[in-house]
Amino acid sequence: MEPFRYSRSIYGGAKQLIGANWDLLPIFVGAAIAFIILHAFLSARAKRRRQGAP
Amino acid sequence: MNDAQSGNSQIAAAPSPRVARHKGIDRLYHWLMAICIFTLMATAFLPILGFKFEWLDIHWMTGVALTVLVILHIVRAIGWQDWRNMWIGFADIRDLFRNVAHLLGARRTPPLPGKYDAAQKLYHLGVAIVVLSVVGSGLLMLLKIDTPLWRRNPYLLSSNTWGIIYVVHGMAAMAIVAIVIIHLYFTLMPDSWYLLRAMIRGSISRKEYLKHHDAARWKA
Repeated sequence: MEPFRYSRSIYGGAKQLIGANWDLLPIFVGAAIAFIILHAFLSARAKRRRQGAP
Repeated sequence: MNDAQSGNSQIAAAPSPRVARHKGIDRLYHWLMAICIFTLMATAFLPILGFKFEWLDIHWMTGVALTVLVILHIVRAIGWQDWRNMWIGFADIRDLFRNVAHLLGARRTPPLPGKYDAAQKLYHLGVAIVVLSVVGSGLLMLLKIDTPLWRRNPYLLSSNTWGIIYVVHGMAAMAIVAIVIIHLYFTLMPDSWYLLRAMIRGSISRKEYLKHHDAARWKA
């Protein structure tokens, strides 16, 4: 997947950078959700361990 | 000193049951910033997701409002607040490793932080970088639109420079979506409810203060 969006210049057709690729949005959202799942799992495990401690 | 005076001095010395955490103006800033961020996200991403509406005017006006809020926050943080509360020092780096060790099972309890823990300070640093990027690039992008206050001048910068500015704005905007999702997660975690209450009421109970914070690092 291209990280950026390009267009063709009207002056000669050169490739021009025009912005970030919006298709990256699900990747940002997915990274946040992956972080949350990992943190929730580790937190729950640490809490169980703490509560089980004498 | 008679008994009455002694009793009064004990009352005066007794700690308040509530510990102030956020002043009214800081809570107002936080919630106004939240409104701006959600408005900007909605006007930026809903049209991309297929919900067509006249988004540009709402977007740039909200962006200008966010810029004003950020400037006020920076001025207040430097001039009126203790910026060291948010400074990442050696103890925070050490705490971060201890927190990770706690999560991974190598340490039984997490370390008690001062007013803000290491993760909150890192989060604040991340938000600062991303919001300053989106605000800075957004202010430059205002040169491309006509408003009641100025006329557009898109020829001030080269096409390549505009492309880089748009990339910075877009990447920072998508990073904000991820940051907001993570912020909502931590806000909704039961262990953090007392912080949400503090952002509404301004204070936490002394019990919460003693349970979640190191009194030596945050004197209240």
